[in-house]
Amino acid sequence: MVAESNKTQKLKVAILGSGNIGTDLLIKTLRSPLLECTLFIGRNLSSQGISKAINLGVKVSDLSIDAILNDPDCCDLVFDATSALSHKKHADILKKLDKMVIDLTPSNIGKMCIPAVNLSNCLKYKNVSMVTCGGQASIPLAHVIGKTYDTVDYIEVVSSISSRSAGPATRVNLDEYIETTEKGLKDFSGCKRTKAILNLNPAIPFVDMQTTVFAKVDNPDLEILIPAIDEMVKNIQKYIPGYELIVPPIIENKRIVVMVRIRGLGDYLPAYAGNLDIINCAAIAMAEEYAKKIHTNGE
Amino acid sequence: MNTNKLSTIQKDCAEATSGSIHLLSKLKDECILITGGTGFMGTWLAEMVAFLNDNHSFNSKLILLSESSQNFIVKAPHLAMRDDVELIECDIRNVMEISNEVSYVLHAAANPDNRMHASDPIRTMNVIANGTDAILKASLRLPSLKNILNVSSGLIYGPQPLDLDAIAENYHGGSDCGSVASAYVEAKRFAETLCSAYRSQYKMSIVTARPFAFIGPYQLLDKPWAINNFIRDSLMGGAIRILGDGETIRSYMYPSDMAFWLLRILVDGTSGLAYNVGSPHGIALQQLAEEITHNFTIKPKIISNFAGGRDLYKSRLVPDVTLAQKSLGLSMKVDIAEAIKRTLLWYK
Amino acid sequence: MPRILISDSTLRDGSHAISHQLNSHNISIYAAAAEAAGVPIVEIGHGNGLGASSLQLGESLISDMEMLQNARSHLVNSKLGIFVIPGFATINKDLSMAIDMGVDVVRVAAHCTEADITERHISYARQKGKEVYGVLMMSHMASKETLIEEAHKMELYGAEGVILMDSAGAYLPNDVHEKVSALVSNLTIPVGFHAHNNLGMAIANSVTAAEAGATILDGTVRGFGAGAGNTQLEVLVAVLEKMGYRTGIDLYKILDAADIAEKEMMKVIPTIKSESIVSGLAGVFSGFLKPVNRISDKYGVDPRDVFFELGRRQVVAGQEDLIIEVAMKLAQKQEEK
Repeated sequence: MVAESNKTQKLKVAILGSGNIGTDLLIKTLRSPLLECTLFIGRNLSSQGISKAINLGVKVSDLSIDAILNDPDCCDLVFDATSALSHKKHADILKKLDKMVIDLTPSNIGKMCIPAVNLSNCLKYKNVSMVTCGGQASIPLAHVIGKTYDTVDYIEVVSSISSRSAGPATRVNLDEYIETTEKGLKDFSGCKRTKAILNLNPAIPFVDMQTTVFAKVDNPDLEILIPAIDEMVKNIQKYIPGYELIVPPIIENKRIVVMVRIRGLGDYLPAYAGNLDIINCAAIAMAEEYAKKIHTNGE
Repeated sequence: MNTNKLSTIQKDCAEATSGSIHLLSKLKDECILITGGTGFMGTWLAEMVAFLNDNHSFNSKLILLSESSQNFIVKAPHLAMRDDVELIECDIRNVMEISNEVSYVLHAAANPDNRMHASDPIRTMNVIANGTDAILKASLRLPSLKNILNVSSGLIYGPQPLDLDAIAENYHGGSDCGSVASAYVEAKRFAETLCSAYRSQYKMSIVTARPFAFIGPYQLLDKPWAINNFIRDSLMGGAIRILGDGETIRSYMYPSDMAFWLLRILVDGTSGLAYNVGSPHGIALQQLAEEITHNFTIKPKIISNFAGGRDLYKSRLVPDVTLAQKSLGLSMKVDIAEAIKRTLLWYK
Repeated sequence: MPRILISDSTLRDGSHAISHQLNSHNISIYAAAAEAAGVPIVEIGHGNGLGASSLQLGESLISDMEMLQNARSHLVNSKLGIFVIPGFATINKDLSMAIDMGVDVVRVAAHCTEADITERHISYARQKGKEVYGVLMMSHMASKETLIEEAHKMELYGAEGVILMDSAGAYLPNDVHEKVSALVSNLTIPVGFHAHNNLGMAIANSVTAAEAGATILDGTVRGFGAGAGNTQLEVLVAVLEKMGYRTGIDLYKILDAADIAEKEMMKVIPTIKSESIVSGLAGVFSGFLKPVNRISDKYGVDPRDVFFELGRRQVVAGQEDLIIEVAMKLAQKQEEK
């Protein structure tokens, strides 16, 4: 008797949003052994993303959410890379269709997902959100700090990204970025006081994303923190290869300091746009986890 | 193409760059994408880069993007088969990805043929507007991009006032945007503003060239411009017919100068600025016709259709090129008499 | 006689000079003195503005609200101003409360090439009926053409004036003339200038700005501020009045205010120290001085080298965390030698 090969059964995913983020996600999806992009959806067939998808032999549509409504069996999981406003509409529709949704917009309706921290827990939820770029970079580290010390007074995260990688959507949503990141930090670290700061740097050559996590802890013992951070960084690198620890935990001016740099894979987005790549990599990690679950359940 | 013609082009390139090779040194080892790369401008730019590679070890790579490379392969096989020249076929409006190697983009895709502007103004505008947007969007993701040159047109100034000797870049004229005759010009103006928007919003380095008129090898004689007609008429043994006022003034630059100027602007033009490219020496059509006849032992007749009695619109189109000359160290090596002579030789 | 609007940042930029440890008493005393002197706008807050109290930039001794409420009670004719940097402060958490408690003037700042991040905050403050200015920080880092475009965006968002900041104290008078006149010719709203004294040019630069058409100038008493300090306000007032400009400020009373502030708040009067000269040359934000000194000391590297490296990397205000990375790398290189 020949056992059915799981290798041929990829999870069918649709990508909503044919901009730079959606297109980069497409390339990552195509590379994944667990995922199959069955539909790449935009609003305009002449967009560059759609052209790219066609070139790659992927089925496309310009009907936006209607493409899924018209053919609900086309996919089991949907990546939403449209906009916060659109996602609110999509979320309701996709909920009714019982689709797994991974939200890459800043709308943050669903369960916050930080793969290195709560990947398996997120499987319980049908709508997960990828928080923010600064959140993906810092929350795992904040989480480790929260677990390592009994009392953490305050956690602060500063991210610097290249101006070029901050498009109009990022710029008009700075406040939301800050507030969402701060909430994520609170939720995942258990620390009640958090702050997020974002800097845009226009330097050329374009700078990579860099994130610093500060924490206020009474007499912290770094000896336990350092290996814990190391391990977390290794975990993150499994799904974000460009994530690098550049300043391991130190104490400077009575604060714990940890610094990381994130370089993008350069799939469609340029490599300096680590801030965009980190969200996409995290989204793929979540989708693949979901794919694995489906296989295990024999669906 | 026969070896005589090939060596003429070589000599032209050598002359245009003589003493000024260092002004293009930033191009060494770089990869240049030219949209509309197989047209008149693109072909000359390719000749120039090939010359620089062959004679001055520039080691530059050229990507020529066009809707169709067929004509180019027939017209310039010596260029088409070069290792350092890559031909890509693509509708400029659909350009989505550019090789990451590209560090310079020269956007010349648009058809300056006013017959097409008349028959298909919609397509004319569409190609310019959407094509420019597409190339800018695609260029945005290039990691090593140093500069973009947007080839606009000297026509964007609108009609040149008769009392203005030469139009400088800061002249703000215009055309009647509601008229279909303005299709090409308005689209080019749109493209310039769009470039400014990309430049401002994304801090991209983009420079503009406003070319005027050119005459020389590779210029198709059936194009409906005065000088092309005159040359074609004379070569066909007929009379040179001046349609309209013989006192209308134009100016013409030889394409090897044009190619050198464009490359120079590409590497060292200041982002946000526009540079006129053309000859600052105006010549009346009457004189132009006469100059052409000097090249024939049996001089062709010159017939003016100027009917007299009617106050015909005398027009003038001559660029002020002080900006390019002063700030980029550019000069013209070939004067109109020589340009005509060489063009006639090419087409004989 | 042409009028110059003076905006006094003693209790905001001055915060940098004492590691953001301004206390209620400092604020009361100085606000009262500034009110008495007829200073038009008194800006209060953390050195980097509303919501900037942080581990990154230094924590304030007292909260923004406390500072503002305190100052509000002393300012009647003088206007109470705040400084806001989007990316540090948000409308919900910071700006709305400050506006509700009654500030008069809101200055929304961005790095000189990023004006579009100020759109929402400027609009919000305008809609709430406040006097709103746009501020372009580290403006030595952009060409005058870029500054015109960025300032113009702020104008379109509703800013009633745009202030060019020389946050690094990097400008020379010619630069000021070039950039200020460019803005003056291309905007329909007033233009201001905020100088720092790293290269000893603060007064000269401020005067040049006025001569080039700026009608808003910033200063702090005794130059109390980040790095080498700001334009010394009382000197500026004296000079402007001597040149024939009207500031509306009472000379004796502003001199008194300076004396009071010196006695009250300044352990050290700002001078141009070596590191400040270097940071001015390197074009690095003046507020980096204290952390650069502290961190350089910790890693045994020369703070001047750190400044030049930060300048080479073109860091912007708010990127103080990079100081640690730079110092560590320099220390490593030193060790390898």
